[in-house]
Amino acid sequence: MAETLSPARAPRFAHASEAELARILDFYKVQWRYEPDVFPISWNVNGAVVESFAPDFYLPEIEIYLELTTLKQSLVRKKNRKLRWLRLLYPEVRIKLLYARDFRALMVKYGRLEFLSQVVEENTQLGGNGAAA
Amino acid sequence: MTVHDDVSEVLLTEEQVQSRVRELGAQLTIDYAGRSPVLVSVLKGSIVFLADLVRHMDVPLSVDLMEVSSYGSGTETSGQVRILKDLSGPIEGRDVVVVEDIIDTGLTLNYLLRYLAERGPASIRVCCLLDKPARRLAEIVIDYRGFSIPDRFVVGYGLDFNEHYRNLPYIGVLRPSVYGGADPVA
Repeated sequence: MAETLSPARAPRFAHASEAELARILDFYKVQWRYEPDVFPISWNVNGAVVESFAPDFYLPEIEIYLELTTLKQSLVRKKNRKLRWLRLLYPEVRIKLLYARDFRALMVKYGRLEFLSQVVEENTQLGGNGAAA
Repeated sequence: MTVHDDVSEVLLTEEQVQSRVRELGAQLTIDYAGRSPVLVSVLKGSIVFLADLVRHMDVPLSVDLMEVSSYGSGTETSGQVRILKDLSGPIEGRDVVVVEDIIDTGLTLNYLLRYLAERGPASIRVCCLLDKPARRLAEIVIDYRGFSIPDRFVVGYGLDFNEHYRNLPYIGVLRPSVYGGADPVA
């Protein structure tokens, strides 16, 4: 069986839900890389990049990017807009957005409701709507 | 209070399920005519589907069962997936049909297909009763698909929640309140 590409030392994840997804991918021996690529999506008149999008995960064997959006709704809207531009500018890139409801369904599937509660609490402390939103 | 009370909606009736399983069995009979496939199923959710499917297949076949550990079960949130029950016999040179109850993320099946491929079968195909594409993380080629279903939490016909509801003869949507969510307001 192929070994995972997961870094020997876990990267510094921006959110607990990302670390959880990495653990799930590791568990099922799916290779992943954390934020390996940055896609410019907006330039100023001088051609300098003013906005870019770095999807959370890339799964090289499956050739797909994953983006988790379990934080507050304003960030989800921002990510949706970035995703639209990414798909427009880089149509060959395959990316899947995991919304809060998707992450919640994963946690239910794997019996991780306790962890889900922690994530919701963390989001609440951050002023977000929570993973169960 | 019965197990049926926890179901908010019947997604696929017993008749719909049985009719489709019969069709899948007939198709497999045609496709595997003159061959002797081994049907490999993953415990525990697939056993009801497997039991019905083989009775609609009119070719000499054998059955084998596997069980793999699941993320989050018990304390399984670290380490890697393990084979809890391996194949009983070799599959080298055999035509393998993996029989699954439901494919959602595809992570378990993705692992299993790689595991089986290393054992040198002549071919591997996938037959699943339910396909929930909205949840897919790992792409899976599904050769035989019973139903494509929406993104709902389904139980019955072998599918469980906390080991319950496998004995329902239909595919039902579990009330969210059963698994910690809120039921929709009527």
